[in-house]
Amino acid sequence: MSPKRSTAAADIGEAAARKTAVALARRVGFYAVTCLISVFFALPLLWLVTAPFDASPAYAIEFPEPTLRNFETILSNPYALPSLLNSLILAVGTALFVVTGAALAAYALSRVRIPGRDALLYVLLLLSSVVTGTAAMVPLFLMVSEVGGAIHPVLGVDSHFSVTLVMTGGLLPAAIFMLKDFVDSIPPSYEESARVFGASPFRVLKDVVVPLITPGLATIAVWSIVNVWGNFLVPFILLRDADKQPAAVLIRTLYTEAGQPNLALLATFSLLYSLPVVAMYLFVSKKYGFRFHGGIKS
Amino acid sequence: MTRIRLTGLTKVFDGGVTALDRLDLTVEPGEFFALLGPSGCGKTTLLRTMAGLEQATSGTIRFAERDVTRVAPGDRDVAMVFQDYALFPHMTVVDNISYPLKVKGRAKPERTARAEEVGRQLGLEALTARRPSALSGGQQQRVALARAVACRPALFLFDEPLSNLDARLRLEARGFLKRLQRELGVTTVFVTHDQAEALALADRIAVMESGRVRQLGTPREVFARPADTFVANFIGSTPMNLVPAEVEGDRLRVAGGVFAAPQGVVAGSAKVTAGIRPEYLRLHDAEPTDAPDAPTGTVSILENLGATTLVTVDCGGESLSAVVPEDAEPAPGSRVWLTPQPGRLLVYDNDSGELLPRRDPAG
Amino acid sequence: MPVPSRRDDAPATAVTGHADPGEAAFSAGAPRAVDSVGLGRARALLFVAPALLLIGVFLLFPALWTLYIGATNFERTGPNHVNPQVTWFDNYVDVLTDPSFYNSLWLTLLFVLFSAVIGQNGLGFWLAWSTRRLHRRVRRVVESLVLLAWILPSSVVAFLWIAMLDQRGGTLDALLGNPGTAWLVEYPMVAIIVFNTWRGTAFSMMLYSAALSSVPPSQLETARLAGATGGQTLRDVVFPHIRGHVLTNTLLITLWTFNDFGPFLITGGGPGDDTEIAAVYLYNTAIRDGDLGYSGAISLLILVANVVLALAYLRMLRRRDSS
Repeated sequence: MSPKRSTAAADIGEAAARKTAVALARRVGFYAVTCLISVFFALPLLWLVTAPFDASPAYAIEFPEPTLRNFETILSNPYALPSLLNSLILAVGTALFVVTGAALAAYALSRVRIPGRDALLYVLLLLSSVVTGTAAMVPLFLMVSEVGGAIHPVLGVDSHFSVTLVMTGGLLPAAIFMLKDFVDSIPPSYEESARVFGASPFRVLKDVVVPLITPGLATIAVWSIVNVWGNFLVPFILLRDADKQPAAVLIRTLYTEAGQPNLALLATFSLLYSLPVVAMYLFVSKKYGFRFHGGIKS
Repeated sequence: MTRIRLTGLTKVFDGGVTALDRLDLTVEPGEFFALLGPSGCGKTTLLRTMAGLEQATSGTIRFAERDVTRVAPGDRDVAMVFQDYALFPHMTVVDNISYPLKVKGRAKPERTARAEEVGRQLGLEALTARRPSALSGGQQQRVALARAVACRPALFLFDEPLSNLDARLRLEARGFLKRLQRELGVTTVFVTHDQAEALALADRIAVMESGRVRQLGTPREVFARPADTFVANFIGSTPMNLVPAEVEGDRLRVAGGVFAAPQGVVAGSAKVTAGIRPEYLRLHDAEPTDAPDAPTGTVSILENLGATTLVTVDCGGESLSAVVPEDAEPAPGSRVWLTPQPGRLLVYDNDSGELLPRRDPAG
Repeated sequence: MPVPSRRDDAPATAVTGHADPGEAAFSAGAPRAVDSVGLGRARALLFVAPALLLIGVFLLFPALWTLYIGATNFERTGPNHVNPQVTWFDNYVDVLTDPSFYNSLWLTLLFVLFSAVIGQNGLGFWLAWSTRRLHRRVRRVVESLVLLAWILPSSVVAFLWIAMLDQRGGTLDALLGNPGTAWLVEYPMVAIIVFNTWRGTAFSMMLYSAALSSVPPSQLETARLAGATGGQTLRDVVFPHIRGHVLTNTLLITLWTFNDFGPFLITGGGPGDDTEIAAVYLYNTAIRDGDLGYSGAISLLILVANVVLALAYLRMLRRRDSS
């Protein structure tokens, strides 16, 4: 073996070694970055899990002195539980309106060729993204406080009903859209078949359509509930009375009060308030799959 | 048993598409009738218009002399089986079969008894408690048929009843369907795009294109004497030979050779299209004595069809194909002569594409 | 399955694949019946009416009313409340000459650019692309953490971040050895930008995950066989497939972030007006200060920006569907 050839071989060996070293370094770097990002996402959430079970929680995350006393305290708070009940009333009320309105509209728009349907759908889609809570804050506040209140107190400020209507109006276009997509995916031959057998339109709706679109309705209901449950801006503007405020608004009065906020109370309340959302997310993702599932066309 | 009479039936969709164009058609009582054509020919629209799912733009539909053109689908006394079967996924098999009776307000014991009876008749007795999603394609199709049978309609309408089954099951279901229709004797119209299915099942076939009936006849007529080049191309599992030809008196010049022209199709001489099915073309390995000047060429491709072979012959700048029994297969590259079986040669007009009828010299 | 829009006060846009009504109406093929159930047009209109009424009153009318409010000197209290005057374009002149408006505009641009266009977009893509190499369980844990940040109610996550960043022993200070930095006072914009990146990355991550699964594996394998590096594969194979998704995602999260009220819950726009992004600025002028006519003019400007973004988004969707 000539010395020249042996150096060449050594070079190749060295290059290969360098290559594996670089690959290893990249791998380590990749896992380090992944860990860092996970920590970034986990860190703020951790407090929500530790503080409620801590006898004396501080701002920083610490291993709790385990206790369930905080949950007892929250039960005796005059605002905590009623505000969760308010959240529930708003969420369920809105979901009822949204599901009923969207089901009727989506079904008719999917199955019956109404003149101007395409333009209507386009405008709905546009409206739902353009008229946000932020952009419509001023006119909505005025409508409810000036016009609604003048007609009847139920339509004015400090009324769950008016918040429900405002939220329904905001969620309906998107709900109609999602549900129409769902109805479009069901072949019309089911209804046609029932029709040829002599079923009346009402009968077709009752026997065939409602059972078929129930999964879609459930999805829209959960989606509406989660949206209303977490919404802050609309009830913040329209509900001033602490007895009527939902958890989203009340929790803020707990931590912006002058002086030291009661961290134990806040943490426990936050956890109670968050759990239903997480539960519903798990329900939806388990039952229907949370991902896009090919919903996006390439 | 019900006769169907369609007169001047026209359907124009909102977008201006004419799906049915002044259609006249009569389906005889008890007949098993096929609507055959490529997709978009209007056959499904015609079926749906008969069911009442589409409103005719003009013309009339009569079932047993009763004008049903404007009658609601549920009041026409028809049962329809959809291409996707449309079995309700939230109901069991027995509930699906008895649903039409439920709509008609029959009592539950009667419905269930009838559903179970029909289920037995169609070999579904073991499946009555299942949901459609737990059934195979063939079973689903039978449940859909059972649901149609259970309401004892005057008329069956089937939309592509076999197209959702795989090839093997389709043959089985074909036999089943034909036997069922024979037993029940109910007038049946079915839609298909599959010419073999139409030939195998139907008593008569209407071949449709662009909203019109191109040919109406028994499977044998439609296969042996297609009324125009469209039908000729559409019917048959091997495409018909359609080649440019020239009539000169009683001779037909084609592919560099001469056939005897069918009697009296053209007076004098004219350019036409000659049509002959591969099944009706004979191969000879020597010049036939009774047909001097027969087209001749070399064998270029052999395709094995099982018991027969499809032979492609290049002759006089044209490709002609012929079907021969497996034991009469020529060697590739060998020279062969071609003659039509008597009476099988067809002549089509070059402009209209229509079949030129034979004329008796006496008539 | 459309993804629920879980952004507080952001538009409840349905992110569905067939979001284009033109395409959804009639694809190629045989023309369909006017009515497949025998409902009839009259009854169909009756079905649509309740929803349209609610949308008209609570969505369309407020948008139109903004035009009128912005043209008056309406206030929450005082003589101008009882008897507002039409002042035509005075409010718009005031807004466009007001330094606080430009302050808010500048802060909004920073907020959108860094937290959405760069932060959520980049981090979301990175997560979607790189977690594919992780073990399934590990991947699910990472994704769940990111999703949790997205689905929790905004009032809760706001306080979680206050606790993180608090001067008196917040978690971040504790980690850094208690320097006593008042993050929300000294770096308020950075704080809300980081917060919003944390809050909203999940959407981009899911969208890009779905988009990446549309890249044919055979093409990725071809690139690997050809010896392409990760960067080359991204540029030559992946990006051409997901270009449309990148654009639509960017437009959508821009629209949402532009309208986001979330940071109000952390800083309330302060200290001073240091984090007074568009939504907070609007709230402060309208509800806190009661200057309704003036804020009506701002609302209209926000609506116009939303229309531009939404039209661009719908155009992109349509183009993508038709190609």
